[in-house]
Amino acid sequence: MSNREFSLPDVGEGLTEAEIVAWKVAEGETVTVNQVLVEIETAKSLVELPSPFAGVVTHLLVGEGVMVDVGTPIIRVADAAAPAGNGSPAHEVADAAEGAAPATDALAGSAVTEEPAIDSGADTIADTAASIAADDDKPGAVLVGYGLKGHVASRRNRQAAAGAPTARPARPSSVPAASASTIIAKPPIRKLAKDLGVDLSVVQATGLAGEITRDDVVREASQASLFRNIETPSWAADREERIPVKGVRKAIASTMVASAFAAPHVSLFVDVDATRTMEFVKRLKNSSDFAGIKVSPLLIMAKAMIWAVRRNPTANAQWTDDEIIVKHYVNFGIAAATPRGLIVPNIKEAQDLTLIDLARAIEQLTITARDGKTQPAAMTGGTITITNIGVFGMDTGTPILNSDEVAIVALGTIKQKPWVVDGEVRPRFVTTLGASFDHRVVDGDVASRFLADVASIIEEPALLLD
Amino acid sequence: MSELITNTDAPHHAGSRDGEAQRRRRESSATELPLARAINAGLQQAMRDNPKVLLMGEDIGPLGGVFRVTEGLQAEFGANRVLDTPLAESGIVGTAIGLAMRGYRPVCEIQFDGFIFPGFDQITSQLAKMTNRHEGQLQMPVVIRVPYGGHIGAVEHHQESPEAYFAHTPGLRLVSPSTPNDAYWMIQEAIASNDPVMFFEPKSRYWHKGPVDLSGSAAPLHASRVVRTGNEVTLVGHGAMVTVLLQAAELAASEGTSVEVIDLRSLSPIDYAPIVGSVQKTGRLVVASEAPGFVGISSEIAATVTEKAFYSLQAPVLRVTGFDTPFPPAKLETIYLPDADRVLEAVDRAMAY
Amino acid sequence: MAESDRMVQLLSADGVLQTEGPAAEYLPYIERLGDDELRQFHRDMVVVRRFDIEAANLQRQGQLGLWVPSMGQEAAQVGSARAARDHDHIFPAYREHAVALVRGVDLLGIIQLLRGTTHGGWNPAASKNFHLYTLVIASQTLHATGYAMGIALDGLHATGNPDTDEAVMVYFGDGSMSQGDLNEALVFAASYQTPQVFFLQNNHWAISVPVSVQSRIPLYRRAAGFGIPAVQVDGNDVLASFAVTARGLDEARGGEGPRFIEALTYRIGAHTSSDDPTKYRTDAELQSWVARDPITRFETWLRSRGEGDAFFSEVDEEAEDFAADIRARTYELGTPSTDKIFDHVYSEPHPVTAAQKSWLDGYEESMGSDA
Repeated sequence: MSNREFSLPDVGEGLTEAEIVAWKVAEGETVTVNQVLVEIETAKSLVELPSPFAGVVTHLLVGEGVMVDVGTPIIRVADAAAPAGNGSPAHEVADAAEGAAPATDALAGSAVTEEPAIDSGADTIADTAASIAADDDKPGAVLVGYGLKGHVASRRNRQAAAGAPTARPARPSSVPAASASTIIAKPPIRKLAKDLGVDLSVVQATGLAGEITRDDVVREASQASLFRNIETPSWAADREERIPVKGVRKAIASTMVASAFAAPHVSLFVDVDATRTMEFVKRLKNSSDFAGIKVSPLLIMAKAMIWAVRRNPTANAQWTDDEIIVKHYVNFGIAAATPRGLIVPNIKEAQDLTLIDLARAIEQLTITARDGKTQPAAMTGGTITITNIGVFGMDTGTPILNSDEVAIVALGTIKQKPWVVDGEVRPRFVTTLGASFDHRVVDGDVASRFLADVASIIEEPALLLD
Repeated sequence: MSELITNTDAPHHAGSRDGEAQRRRRESSATELPLARAINAGLQQAMRDNPKVLLMGEDIGPLGGVFRVTEGLQAEFGANRVLDTPLAESGIVGTAIGLAMRGYRPVCEIQFDGFIFPGFDQITSQLAKMTNRHEGQLQMPVVIRVPYGGHIGAVEHHQESPEAYFAHTPGLRLVSPSTPNDAYWMIQEAIASNDPVMFFEPKSRYWHKGPVDLSGSAAPLHASRVVRTGNEVTLVGHGAMVTVLLQAAELAASEGTSVEVIDLRSLSPIDYAPIVGSVQKTGRLVVASEAPGFVGISSEIAATVTEKAFYSLQAPVLRVTGFDTPFPPAKLETIYLPDADRVLEAVDRAMAY
Repeated sequence: MAESDRMVQLLSADGVLQTEGPAAEYLPYIERLGDDELRQFHRDMVVVRRFDIEAANLQRQGQLGLWVPSMGQEAAQVGSARAARDHDHIFPAYREHAVALVRGVDLLGIIQLLRGTTHGGWNPAASKNFHLYTLVIASQTLHATGYAMGIALDGLHATGNPDTDEAVMVYFGDGSMSQGDLNEALVFAASYQTPQVFFLQNNHWAISVPVSVQSRIPLYRRAAGFGIPAVQVDGNDVLASFAVTARGLDEARGGEGPRFIEALTYRIGAHTSSDDPTKYRTDAELQSWVARDPITRFETWLRSRGEGDAFFSEVDEEAEDFAADIRARTYELGTPSTDKIFDHVYSEPHPVTAAQKSWLDGYEESMGSDA
């Protein structure tokens, strides 16, 4: 014996509810298909609802005078024909077609899940109908009663199926391969470039789709505005310009002289395949942990140098005439070219910082320096320094040691060059690491090992997983 | 008024003088034809090729149509193939549907653009939906010819550009030739199509002559075409506007700006490939039309090209259109309708980005 | 309303054959009918009424979004439909379920239309040229007229051979008489003298607007204004409906031009299942028409000719089976494929529908199951 429910249908093209006015049958009563069950009142009119089922009324689910939404079950009828052992699901009650939950399902309307006994006449046809009625279940096609209520708005479960369009395609399909324009930049970026006076054709694009990003433009602009001549002015009218030596310029000069001519500088260079560092940087940029934090190869270089210091402690030292002080902490200096001149603020205790904290510290240091707000305390006590001349567009150079330090590394441009991988020439991101050392403290072997260590991290950042 | 006559000969109409026939023969071998005559020649060819092709409309018989586009055709083919209908646009389109059900290929003439609206319901509720309603078991090879557009100094309702109402209706195809050669070939292709085709004829171009290659072949009906090459700005338009765009391009060239012009030819569906290819080269697009701009075909093109050629755009897509007002009295139409200066103003704006 | 003294009636509301007055000239058409044909009239009317009731119930049970009842109009439809030849073309409005039955349409097609699984429901070419329903009032009258123009152009009427001469019949209601399209159709039909019968079922109501608002004179008299001969018939009289239509079609296909028939009948049910007639018409009026029921009077007449219980019981049972079958097959109707949205918008390949169909396929595939 199975129970079936009849839910309130939308009888008037868009009705959302109706009031039960009068039941025409009682619980326990036997009903036939099409027998009038109930009178309802809709917004439009008084309507009689005929029974979709034949059977015995087990429950009147809604009382007279009650207003219910379309899709609400209003009556339960037990199957009268009950063909024995027909294997029909025992409980269609809670299991109306297509998994509808009453009143909240989008498929509002009567939930007829089984072939009702074809019993439209009141007389002897009942038996005939029972034999006519198919024993197999026909899932009640649900329906067209379409209440407007009962549509629970919910987002369908979108899978990122292989091959299905994902949120960020590798290449926008709208950009055909044979595009005549090789510069891919969104309109806001084009405007930014124009405002900053940046020529998009020389900007290195780092966007996922090969597009030039805002960072790319700003980077180029920073270089352009600070370190690259944008235009060729006409010759000055004066024959000479005399700039007094004072302030920052005087300080820089004296520091340079002291460093350059006191410490015997030796420079080493190594070319490195930095592809994995570039990939690592990209992945960090995409990770939610690093959202909103500036990540660049400089960060990896900092970590590499700190790691190399652990392995080559004497590169992180200070010469005094009496003793060489090898420091077991790293106050990591970053040379910063500001419009007012060169400064080298350092990040204190950099060896204790996590990658993410180091990234934040570098960003903070850079912003502060750019804003001209670096405090004097930040510029003293450094133990090792990096100078980023890649932003200048330079491949490498011979940096001058910072005061009281014995090693300085120059990070140049990282760009695609032919490289041999597994016997084949392939484009890889290649950079030249340059470093200068104080030969009073650091001999060639230590210098080489130190720089080799730095290079090995750049080549394989996973080695940092110590 | 001619009747459908099944058992007697077609009546001999006064218009079919021998001189008329001679003139037509001369013109049919000529290579320069006005647009109206090119359509006439195309209709004539289509009717010769297929006995099921019927023309129907107001005044298309002895008068040959108010623009003479059907001149001589009733004389050649008879009143059973060139029907003067009662004055009823809905009736014309509705009975054309019935005739198409019967196996005919009716070509309806709507006398003027502004008079198409009584037939709007039959076109959009019936003609456009008939094949879909029949789930493919019925075809509607109906052509509706509509003279449209301004520049003829006419009164109200005779200078409209109602393309957008119909382009917005799925189930219809829309085309508009800008040259006599296209007119000659496209009318035949429209008649050969098994779908309803609305054939918009730029009436201000009816009497402008152009070369017609009678022995050539047809370009695809729904293809757009680059009609002038350039590399700094792309201009797109249809019908009479193409001439204006070419004028603007010429002026721009004399000022040192290289402009590419594309003739849309088909308004639904629109062939975007040449347009996108052009924008990828130039980075700038200006779309022009006589119709009021709001919710017009130019807007559709702007949205789609922005989507398809986003990374190529140096400037937003600009539209040059009629103002969002009823078409003005004729003395004001040259101000209202986009001319070369208005187009160039937009070109300048695009170049300034 | 507007029953004229020229209304043709062969069977009174009491089921008595009329032989005098306007009926006289139509008797020969009835005398030609054999007993089996007459029984078929009854069968047609009873089955379609039973179908109509079942469909109305299915709608109330949520199986159909809408039902359009034909109850009360069986005689007008069956009589006229049985007068048409198989090769004639029939253009219905949207309430001609009895005509559909007579023309061999599987009435499940009408169910499908109102259930929302199709805009069509059958193939006219496979249904004795019974065209699809047209839901815009009176639009079909122009299609029918154009079709009839085509017959004339083909020379396939007025050859003197009624077995091959073709005619068109178009159905419409009293509300249609006000629509421009119908008036234009009458203009075109008269102008081109089409082989066409305009069959008006005046069921006295256009939703809630009585026919008196549509016209100040009996509707059949309008046809004369167009130059089209017209007849008014008792639409609840299946014999008269048959006879008048048979003559009209004979004349039309014979080349005498279009004809107009006004069948006076009554819409016993509501306009559709969304309508509530109690708001605008009286029960007294309804009952007065119930008393003139087409099926009752015809049964009376058949019994008076000797038809017995056995026949009527057999027809009732057949009707019950018919309804049961409709119910069963309605439950089996599934959801149409989304292809249906795109596949037949155009007859020829179209880039936009192709692209959008492809997009939707991809979109649907990218969605997980709604578990």
